This record gives sequence, C-alpha cells and structure tokens, in this order.
Amino acid sequence: MIELNQVNKSYGKHQVLFDINLTIAKREKVVILGPSGSGKSTVLRCINGLETIQSGDIRYEGASVLGDKAMRKLRLEVGMVFQRFHLFPHRTALENVMEGPIWVKGMKKHEAKELATDLLAKVGLSGKEDSYPGKLSGGQQQRVAIARSLAMQPKAILFDEPTSALDPELVGEVLSVMKEVAAEGMSMVVVTHEIGFAREVADRIVFMDQGKVIETGTPDEILDRPQHVRTQSFLSRILK
Amino acid sequence: MKLDYSVIMPFMPVFLEGAWMTVKLSVLSLALGLVLGIIGGLCKTSAIWPLRAVANLYTWIFRGTPLLVQLFILYFGLPQLGITMGPFQAGVLGMALNTGAYVTEIVRSGLTAVDRGQSEAASALGMSRSVALFRVIGPQAIKVIIPPLVNQFIMTIKNSSMVSLVTITELFRTGESVIVSTFRSFEVYTVIAIMYLIMTSLLMIVAKQLEKGMSAHDRA
Repeated sequence: MIELNQVNKSYGKHQVLFDINLTIAKREKVVILGPSGSGKSTVLRCINGLETIQSGDIRYEGASVLGDKAMRKLRLEVGMVFQRFHLFPHRTALENVMEGPIWVKGMKKHEAKELATDLLAKVGLSGKEDSYPGKLSGGQQQRVAIARSLAMQPKAILFDEPTSALDPELVGEVLSVMKEVAAEGMSMVVVTHEIGFAREVADRIVFMDQGKVIETGTPDEILDRPQHVRTQSFLSRILK
Repeated sequence: MKLDYSVIMPFMPVFLEGAWMTVKLSVLSLALGLVLGIIGGLCKTSAIWPLRAVANLYTWIFRGTPLLVQLFILYFGLPQLGITMGPFQAGVLGMALNTGAYVTEIVRSGLTAVDRGQSEAASALGMSRSVALFRVIGPQAIKVIIPPLVNQFIMTIKNSSMVSLVTITELFRTGESVIVSTFRSFEVYTVIAIMYLIMTSLLMIVAKQLEKGMSAHDRA
C-alpha cells in the first residue's frame, strides 16, 4: 500500500535519513521504534509530504507521490495524528471533526455533524462536542485528533508519537482508542516509545537509529531476540 | 489676545465639509490599502518566489520613502510622463499604496504567527492551501492582525492631512482659509485637532467592539 524505496532526506548538509526502504501492506500495523533523533518522525512526515525528500521514491498504491496528484490522493486517504495534536483552537471538538468532511470532501453539514457526533462517541468524548480544545485535557485533545482523522474515512493513519506529549496518566486512554482502531483493520504506522503497545498491536516493528533502518521483524523477534547491538542497547535502556 | 471660539463658530460648515472630505479620503484609501495589504501579505508568505520578490520590492519602496514624496510624485511628477490624475485620485492612490505597504507587513506577521502545526494539520487532512487559509490559518491570524491594523488605520487618518499639499481641501486645509478671514490660529487648529480626535476615537471604539466579539470565540 505504502512503499518507500531508497529514501534520502537531508536538511542542508545534515542528512537525516539514509536509504530508507519500507513497505506497509494493507491492514498492516507497523510500529517504528528508535531513540530520539533517529529519524522516525521524519519518515512519517516524508510519507505524506510534510517534508520533501532529496532522492528515492515513495509510492502509494503503486503511484509515486512525488507528483502533486498522487500526493493529493494520499492525503485524502491517509490520515495523520500529531504528537502535539494540532487541533484547530478556534473550533469546538465537534467542528474540528466536521472540518475535513465538509471542506475537503464536500459532505453536507448535517451528515458531517452526525458522523462527527458518532466518532466523538467512539473515542469516548460524548458530551464534549461543544468544548474548545483549550478546555480539554491532552488525552481528550488527542482523542479528538484521532476522531478528526477517522472522519476522513482513511485507509491508513500515521501516528507521530501520539502519547509523547501526554501526562503519564492520560497515555492509557489514547492507546486504548488506538487499539480499537487497529482492531477494526486500519492500516497504521505508529512512531512511539510505548513498547507494550508495540508488542500487543504491531504486525511488524522497525527499529531505526541515526537515520537508518537497523532491523525489522515481528514484535517477538525485535523485542525478545534483537539481532543488532544497537537495538539491544536501546531496548535495555527503555525497558529498565 | 484672548481666546475667543465664538469668532470661528460661523465657519463650522467649512470645517465639517473639510472633515467630510477627510473621511472620504481615509475610508477609500483604507479600503484599498487593506485589499492591497492582504494581497501583499499573501504574496510575502507565498511559496512562489516572484510573488515574494514583487511584494518585497513594494514594501521596500513604499515604507522606505516619505508619504509626502510619494504624493508629490503621483500628482506633480507623473504628468510629466503623460499620466495626469485629479488631486483626489492622486491623494487616495498615494495613501492607499502607502497604507497597503504597512498592512502587507501586518498581514505577513499575522500569518506567520500561526503555529506551523496548524497548516500541517490542514495539509494532512487533505485541505488545499486556499481552504487551509480560509478555514484554519486566516481566522487565527485575524486575532493577531487586528490591533496593529487599527493602529495603522489611525496613522492613515492622521496622514491624510498631508494630501492638503496636493491641493485637496480636506479638514487640515480648511484651517488656512478660516485663519485668513479670522486670524485665529489657536482656535482654528484646536478645533481641527478635536475633529481628528473624534474620527480616530470612533475608529478605536469600533475596533474595541471587534476585538471583544473576536475574543468571545477564543475560549481556548
């Protein structure tokens, strides 16, 4: 479904991604692990064109998204959830969720409202429809952001450290919504430090360090029998 | 000489006529300047470099030279090249171009003040740049833009006194004609000052209401 071939990315002279190869199949859940600064978020941001790449190719359903038209299609069909939510502060929770369907897909307002109400209920936020983001906790904001992404009825969602900006006691509520989305068969690429989530949900874990994919495998392979010394030392640090 | 305002009272219609001209000049140049400034601000934040270059050239010239010189070039200079304008057109055009240059900077800084994450979220939702501008960036930028914009509008109203020098009989210039017949400089110019103050105060009141209405949405 999504394919990265030999992707290189640099900021000026500073190269941050080296020959990244990665394939995400339909309905697959891929978790990207790695120390901070390893380029994992950059990989996600390259997929949906928030960053431009210097060489290599990114394909979505067979077509290169380096062209505008294919990138449009990808953005319509692949959602993104950000570390710092990026909800629209001037709109209520409900309006945040309605915004995409109305202004991108041209959905009728009452249909969008119905859809958004259902999605907020799904992420456990019934009753918060009219709250502005500033009045919601981090965990609630992130759940609105997930609902906003789901409202576009995407085929895949990219999660960029969705729980890293949250207080520890709020992480659980966001992860459980993500697990529910995963259980419904959504394709997902998740950058996270939540090893428990990776073990439970991932079909495949990709370990990155210093802009390179170090190793890839099932959760058992990566978490219990890591082959590479860098993976081992990362896991021993994070599991301590 | 004692102050005596009663002497100039009969000239009130003259002042009011001048004030009305000042209002017309200001409103027209503010409206045009606002349009120019919005276009300029969008150009300055555009990804297309020729647009940025044109906008930069524009603000560089019109913020970097005195309004009076700009007005004189338009009214006294251009006829030499065969372009002739009436004083009113030249006055409005000069003030609009000058105001537009400042508004361009105000709009640019308002747009760039909005968190980058907002346009990223809009892009990730599949919004085009224009939809993102209209629905996401614009409404948030306006809050940042309004206070300096009001400031600029007040400057423009006051600067309109300069167009008297391209022969428009607006509020400031009426003073001269009244002084010629009354020799009451102090009285005349204080009355004129009060009239400017009334105009700028009205603008400030409107702006206050606008800001209040805006913060009602801002429950964040």
